[in-house]
Amino acid sequence: MKKYTTPLIDELEKGPWPSFVTEMKKAGKHNEMANDAVGHLEKCYRTKMGYWKHGGIVGVLGYGGGVIGRYSEIGDEFPGVAHFHTVRLNQPSGFFYTSKALKEICDIWDKYGSGLTNVHGSTGDLVLLGTKTDALETIFAEYSSRGWDLGSSGSALRTPSCCVGQGRCEWAMYDTMGLTYALTQEFQDEIHRPTFSYKFKIKSSGCACDCVASIARADMSIIGTWKGDIQIDQAEVKNYSSKMDIKAEIIDMCPTQCMSYDGKELKINNAECNRCMHCISKMTKALKPGKERGATICIGSKAPIVVGSLLSWVIIPFIKIEEPYTELKDLIRKIWDWWDENAKPRERIGEVIEMKGMRSFLEAIGVPPMPQQIREPRKDPFMFYTEDDIASYKAKEAEEKKTGKYKF
Amino acid sequence: MALPQRRTDIGPPHFEQFLPPVIKKNYGKWKYHEVLTPGTMVHVAESGDKLWTVRVASPRLMSTDTIREHCDIAEKYCGGYLRYTTRNNAEFLVSDEKQLEPLKKDLTARGFKMGGIGYGITNVVHTQGWVHCHSAATDASGLVKAMMDELYDYFESKRLPNKVRLAVACCVNMCGAVHCSDIAVVAVHTKVPVVNHANFKNMCELPTVIGACPTRAISPDPANKSVKINADKCMYCGNCFTVCPPISIKDPERDGVAIVVGGKINSLRSNPKFSKLVIPYISNEPPRWPKAVAAIKHIVEVYAANARKHERLGEWIERIGWERFFSLTGIDFTFQSIDDFTFMRDTMRTASTFKW
Amino acid sequence: MEIAELQDKIFAFVEAAKGKKKLKEKDIIKGVSAEQSMQPDEVKKAMRAMIDVGRLMYSYGGGASSVEIPSEEYLREKGLIK
Repeated sequence: MKKYTTPLIDELEKGPWPSFVTEMKKAGKHNEMANDAVGHLEKCYRTKMGYWKHGGIVGVLGYGGGVIGRYSEIGDEFPGVAHFHTVRLNQPSGFFYTSKALKEICDIWDKYGSGLTNVHGSTGDLVLLGTKTDALETIFAEYSSRGWDLGSSGSALRTPSCCVGQGRCEWAMYDTMGLTYALTQEFQDEIHRPTFSYKFKIKSSGCACDCVASIARADMSIIGTWKGDIQIDQAEVKNYSSKMDIKAEIIDMCPTQCMSYDGKELKINNAECNRCMHCISKMTKALKPGKERGATICIGSKAPIVVGSLLSWVIIPFIKIEEPYTELKDLIRKIWDWWDENAKPRERIGEVIEMKGMRSFLEAIGVPPMPQQIREPRKDPFMFYTEDDIASYKAKEAEEKKTGKYKF
Repeated sequence: MALPQRRTDIGPPHFEQFLPPVIKKNYGKWKYHEVLTPGTMVHVAESGDKLWTVRVASPRLMSTDTIREHCDIAEKYCGGYLRYTTRNNAEFLVSDEKQLEPLKKDLTARGFKMGGIGYGITNVVHTQGWVHCHSAATDASGLVKAMMDELYDYFESKRLPNKVRLAVACCVNMCGAVHCSDIAVVAVHTKVPVVNHANFKNMCELPTVIGACPTRAISPDPANKSVKINADKCMYCGNCFTVCPPISIKDPERDGVAIVVGGKINSLRSNPKFSKLVIPYISNEPPRWPKAVAAIKHIVEVYAANARKHERLGEWIERIGWERFFSLTGIDFTFQSIDDFTFMRDTMRTASTFKW
Repeated sequence: MEIAELQDKIFAFVEAAKGKKKLKEKDIIKGVSAEQSMQPDEVKKAMRAMIDVGRLMYSYGGGASSVEIPSEEYLREKGLIK
């Protein structure tokens, strides 16, 4: 095996934080591809630029995603990374593993790939970093025969992911792991065979803490919430009063100012609470969310390309999330149908909604306008009126004339 | 040896088989949790069962050797169960308190770093960079390593008014969704791309390339059967390069990084927010990006000294005002911080009630 | 129409676009079902069967996925030709 001198990236083996360079070198000791990846990276550091080409056409027969083609421009110099494709393995919900399963994944990867991984990639997949085209079918057979399928890439439903949810969190307002598994199984075709205009991401968070950042990076963000009163254990509140300044840290920081504390009893005006999770997350022993639980569905977030980042918009303020999740699955299909009908190539759903108008989208999926969907109403007077709109406003006025009572 | 039979459309294994017995038993019935140290917390179930979590830093880019070591540790102390977090830390879970100290001792002996829970700095969400991406304008893993070495105390022990979420994107595609982080580094190009006309006609679709430009800087170039780019309109986003490889945008001496601050994704107290641009350009300085790292550390320290307890960086800035943020940090305010793309209307000040 | 005949039509449709336009699945399903006055689902099913045996393939380029006629190199790699 070629020995590379790597003075620049060696600098990244110093210091307390675990070093990715050390990891690459570890793999490089017994793997030609990883060894060349080390030399390749040193060259990037020396010249201050990357050498990877655009993704190419690679994959397993029948699937349109799950493998990202990657070739180096300088494969002659570093033959081990001339082909260096990524394989995405669909992670189990919540990123839980047994050592037996993980070791099996490692054994196969050492045999056919570089031995380098990302645990995990941004979308959530377990990423296997670097293999050759002729190994792909073998890798797929080895993994799929042991129960592991590929994740997604390209213009498809991307691998859904979620927070740890009810597995280890008292705030999970629905079963994020169960839902993620169910949606992943339901939409296997949309995951493996790119049929959309662009990518579509679904991320599930159990509460407004949003530990998978669904509000910022999922076309569909499913965020747990509740109805009803926050459950208070006054004895525990009292215990907290010796550990924290309840007035300064809880009452005064409540965004809706709906709480009070007189040193004896904590009171919450629940009708005014907007369920932000601040008080609950700081007094976890004393406060619990209300009992009617479900999720808020938000749509449209994405990173800045092409005309700026979006956060997801509230579409459905409250929906029950219960097995077999039929209502949600139907909703997802309706959303895709409208998107598919209206999207130009490489348009995310948020961009299409901006282009075609929120009304068009809401009507297509059968959701009425609600003040919970907006931060504030429009400020310009340029609006569409359909004939039906005017007819309904006129009908309301006719009704008012009859009853003698205005209904605004 | 014959290849095993491939199976398609099976999806991932059901997660239940990977759950430790204590989680299976108490699934959906957790009562509360407490952070014990920056590296450990305990979750208590309604049944009274307890689950201790020990969180360990990971470089995300890992060799199978290290994953196997994680597995060995899990086998020794955790019945063979382990998990990873959305921010790429490893977590070891024990239901028997007696296992906790031996586990921590072993982790320390093996050189693993525990921390990242609560009001400090945990692992950095980041993209592939030069390690594996075609559009990288910097190396993400190297920046993360350099940043976290410098901020390591905040991972392991030192506390802050609230958590500070860090992220690195190696180009403006931001595939790690870094745009809502307390502090994020985003790598930028700063020069108009160059079109290789000879390859254009074979590799690119004209309408797609023109349509890819957010500022309408690209127009047809019939003489070359290609496109031309208007330098006055181009903002170097690189989207044309994404759809058309013969358009080249990388430039070693001009690519660099920008720093954005004040974003968050949770809804605690205030709504989720985007991060905003405060430092428009720092040169790429591999292997350790000293100026970018110093800038981040400086912002963390000014936040730590001035924010109230529980205030996230963006909340603190909104309370004191951006003009105060710039004066407190001493960061030069530049034209690049004034939006001239899509959000100018929402971001200019429309009142005389600012601070000096 | 027999499935084999439909698949020939689909193949011809993809071949006609070769080098001109990257076709998404949707373009093929819409185009062929309109051309042959057929249900989109039938076209989709026939096309998928072609992809499963490597007569067509999914491709990726320019930031989006498409459907193409496989190269000889691809077929050789998949062991479909020698």
